[in-house]
Amino acid sequence: MRHVYSDPDAEVIALSPKSLMATNRFICEICNKGFQRDQNLQLHRRGHNLPWKLKQRTNKEVKKKVYICPEKTCVHHDPSRALGDLTGIKKHYSRKHGEKKWKCEKCSKKYAVQSDWKAHSKICGTREYKCDCGTLFSRKDSFITHRAFCDALAEESARFTPVNPPVNLNLRNELLMTNNLHNAANSQFPNMFRPELGGLESGNQMSIDNLQKPRLPLWLDNTNPHLNLNPIQNPSSSNPNFLASSSTTLPELVQMAAASQNQWLINRSSGALKQEEEDKGNMCEAISSLYYSNTSSQHPQETNHPSAPMSATALLQKAAQMGSTRSNNSAVFGTGFGLMSSNFSSIGNFNPLNQPRNEVCQMNLGKPENLNGLMASTSASALTSNHGGDVPRLFESSNSLMGDSSPLIMIPNNKGKQAQSGSVIEGESSLTRDFLGVGGNELAKFASMGSSMDLTHYSRNM
Amino acid sequence: MFQEDGSSSVTSSPLQMFPMMSLSPGFMSPYPWLKDLKPEERGLYLIHLLVTCANHVSSGSLENANIALDQISHLASPDGDTMQRIASYFSEALADRILRTWPGVYKAFRSTRISIVSEEIFVKKMFFELLPFVKVAFVISNQAIVEAMEGERMVHVIDLNVTEPAQWCALIRDLSARPEGPPHLRITGIHQQKEVLEQMAHILTEEAEKLDIPFQFNPIVSKLENLDVEKLRVKTGEALAISSMMQLHSLLASDSELKKSPPTPMNAIGIHLQRVALMNQGTLGELLEKDMVNGYSPSADSASSSPLSSIGSSNIDTFLNAIWGLSPKVMVVTEQDSDHNGKSLMERLSESLYFYAALFDCLESALPRASLERLRMEKMLGEEIKNVIACEGLERKERHEKLEKWNQRFELAGFASVPLSYYAMLQAKRLLQSYSCDGYKIKEENGSVVICWQDRPLLSVSAWRFKR
Repeated sequence: MRHVYSDPDAEVIALSPKSLMATNRFICEICNKGFQRDQNLQLHRRGHNLPWKLKQRTNKEVKKKVYICPEKTCVHHDPSRALGDLTGIKKHYSRKHGEKKWKCEKCSKKYAVQSDWKAHSKICGTREYKCDCGTLFSRKDSFITHRAFCDALAEESARFTPVNPPVNLNLRNELLMTNNLHNAANSQFPNMFRPELGGLESGNQMSIDNLQKPRLPLWLDNTNPHLNLNPIQNPSSSNPNFLASSSTTLPELVQMAAASQNQWLINRSSGALKQEEEDKGNMCEAISSLYYSNTSSQHPQETNHPSAPMSATALLQKAAQMGSTRSNNSAVFGTGFGLMSSNFSSIGNFNPLNQPRNEVCQMNLGKPENLNGLMASTSASALTSNHGGDVPRLFESSNSLMGDSSPLIMIPNNKGKQAQSGSVIEGESSLTRDFLGVGGNELAKFASMGSSMDLTHYSRNM
Repeated sequence: MFQEDGSSSVTSSPLQMFPMMSLSPGFMSPYPWLKDLKPEERGLYLIHLLVTCANHVSSGSLENANIALDQISHLASPDGDTMQRIASYFSEALADRILRTWPGVYKAFRSTRISIVSEEIFVKKMFFELLPFVKVAFVISNQAIVEAMEGERMVHVIDLNVTEPAQWCALIRDLSARPEGPPHLRITGIHQQKEVLEQMAHILTEEAEKLDIPFQFNPIVSKLENLDVEKLRVKTGEALAISSMMQLHSLLASDSELKKSPPTPMNAIGIHLQRVALMNQGTLGELLEKDMVNGYSPSADSASSSPLSSIGSSNIDTFLNAIWGLSPKVMVVTEQDSDHNGKSLMERLSESLYFYAALFDCLESALPRASLERLRMEKMLGEEIKNVIACEGLERKERHEKLEKWNQRFELAGFASVPLSYYAMLQAKRLLQSYSCDGYKIKEENGSVVICWQDRPLLSVSAWRFKR
C-alpha cells in the first residue's frame, strides 16, 4: 500500500455525501436544469439572455485542495489519507459506499460507477490469456504473475509424477465410490495439481501453446458427478419419484462407472503424449474425454470368436440367404420383388415348373441380403413396390395369398398359387435349400408334403 | 401321408420329426425335439416363425398366428441368447397387436399397468453410460453447436427433451474454453416432468457457476406435440441452437383421419414446396410419391388443388414450421436410422427385426446375459418394438425413418444442411475407439454422421440451419 502523505499546506475539504453524489450541482435559476460544471451553466444562461460570466483561470497560485471521504469508517476519512482529486473522491465514495447500479450484461458483475462499468463491458468475455490450470486473464501482467506462481506448483507435482497419478486415481475412485460426491472437493484438483500430462512434459512452455494440451483433471473432475449418476444418487433431492430406482443395481452401476473411470484414466495418461501430435487438440480434445468413460471394461466378449454363437444379425442374414432362392438378387430388387410376378421368369434360373430344383437352389446368390425369399417360402406374398434401394427386405407384405387355403405354418407353400406367384415355391422347389443348413433333400421333400397340406391336415394326420 | 416321403430319408436333424407332431394347440407334448435344436437352428426357426406369424396377423388369420406364437413361446426367452430375446419381444408385440382386435379384453388386460417414470429415466441413463451411441451423438451435436456459435455472444440452446445433463455440462465447458471467451448462455429444457427439469436446472447451474459463465436455465413442462413456441421466449439478437435427441419421429404420428391442418403452416410449407417444385420438378413428384406410399394419406376433402393436399398433416410439419420461424442458427437432430414407419406390418417387422437385432447383438457383446441392466434395457427396447408392431395412428410414436427421408423433410421445411465437421467426426471416432470393441462403426453420409453396429446403421446425426 502506498502511503503518500498529502501536502501539509493543502486545504482539506470535507464534502457531505449529498454533495459528493450530486451530479448536477449547478442549477439554472430559470429552468432548473442541472449542470455538472459551472462553465456549462454559464453558457446555458446565455440562452436565457441572462448575464453570464465564464470564470477565468486565476493567475495566482491556487491552493491545493484535498478531499476526505465523509464515511467515518473509511480509511480516507482521515485527512492524512485524503484524496487529491474531486472526481476521484466522488468515484471512491460511490464505489466503496454507494449502491451498485450498473450491471454488466454478459456476466453478473455490478458497478457503482458508470465508467467502471463501461470499462469492464469492453473487456468482459474478451479474455486473452489462459493458464494451463484453467484460469483466465484479460491482462497480460496478471497472467504472467499467476503463471509463474502456477508453474512453481507444477514443478513440485512434476517431481512426484510417478506417484501422483495412481494416488489421484485412487483418491478419485474413492470419491466416486462414496455416495455423496462433493463437487467442491473435486474442483480443487485443477488448481492444485497440474495435469499429469503437463508433468510428463519437460519444459514449461511459457506460451499460449499450452492450450494445446488436453486438460485432464478439470474435465475429469467435472465428469465425476455425471458418471456418478448424480441425479439418482443425490440424497438431498426431494423428489423420490424421480429418484426411485432399485438400490440393488445402483451400486453395481456406480462400481461399473468407477471401474471404467479407472480404465479411462489409465488410457488417457498413456495416450496423452500421442495426442500431442493431434492438430486441434486443444480444449475440444479434453472435452470429448468427457465421454471416454468406457473402455476395455466393457465388451468382455469377443464378437468375432469363431465358436461364439451366431449373432442375431448373422442369423437374419443367413435366414435371408436361405430363403432367397433366386440367384439374381439385383433383379429381384429391381423389379420390386418380382418374385411374385411374372417378371420373375425373366430371371434365368427360375423354374416355374414343379421340378426338383436342388441344383438351382444350391447355386448361390450373390447378395442374399433379403429374407424375401424366406418370406416367399413361408407364405407367398404379393408383389409390392420396392421401397428404396438396397435395404435388405425381410419380405414383402403379404396379402392375397395368405388368407387362402393353405395357411401353413411350418413351411407353408401355396402350391395352388403358381399362376400368380409364378414362382413361389411350388412343392418341393424352394425348400430344397436346407432350411437349417442340414442335409439336402429331406427337408424339401418334407416341405413338399407340407405344401399340399394345411393345418387341418396336419392335425388330422396326427 | 408323411410317412411316404418324410421317413424314407432321415437325417439327424430333429426338425425332420416335426411333421410327425401335431401342430394343433391342443397337443400336450411340448415339442420334445425342440430341446435338441442347436442355437443356430433355433434362431433360424424363430425368425421363420416370427415372419410367418406376422403374415398371419397381417392377413387376419389369427388362429394360425396363435399357433405360431405358441411355438415361439417354446423357443423364445427374454434371458436366453440374442435371438431368443428378440423373438420374445417381437412375439409379445405381435400378441399385443392381435389382442387389440378385442378392445375390451385388451383394455382390461392393461388396466393395471403402471409405468414408472423413474425406471424410464434410469434405463435411459444406462443406455447413456453403457453404450456409446448416445455419447457419440452428444459429442457430435455439441461440436456442431460450438462451431455454429463461433463469435456469438448470446447463445440460446433449446433441448427438445432434457434427460441427460452430461451433454449440456460438456457444452458449458466447451463454451467456456473457447478462445473468445464464453458467451452468455441460456438453455431451455423441455420435459413432461417438473422434477426432471428441476434436477437439470440444479446440475447445469452449478456447472456454469463453477466456470463463472453467465447462465440461465429455463424449464418448460410440456409434451413436445403440445409445445407452445411462444413459451420458448426466443429473444432477438440471440443465436439459437436446437437439439433433438430421438424426439422428432414421435411427431410423425398423426391420426389418419385428420387430413386438414391449419392453413397458415401449410401455406408456409406450400411456399417451400413451390420453391422445391420450381427447382426440381422430378424431386417433388418423387417426394410426393414416396410420401404417399409411406403413410401420408391424400386428403380427400382438401379445398385446394395444390400438391399440399396430398401431404398428410402431421404434427411434424407444424412443428418444423414453428421452429423454422424462430430462425435457428443450428438445429442438430439425432434419429434412429431405420425405416420403422412403413404402412404395412410386414415392412415394419422386417426393418425392425434387422435394427433391433443389431442393438441386441450390441448389448450381448457389452453385457453378460445375467445382467439386470441389460434386461431392463432390452425391456425398454421391447416397448419400442411393441409400439412399432402393435400400434397404429396417433398411438404409434416410434416412427423411425431413414436419414434420407428426414433430409427431404427438413429441406422442405426450409432448412439447409450443415455438414458436420471433420473434427466432429474425429472426436466421434476417438470415442468409439475407446470402447475397444470393433463392432461400432461410424460413417459419413452427405455431411451427416451415421453410427452403426457392424454394418447396420443405428443412429444418424445431422445438422441444419434456417434458410430464408
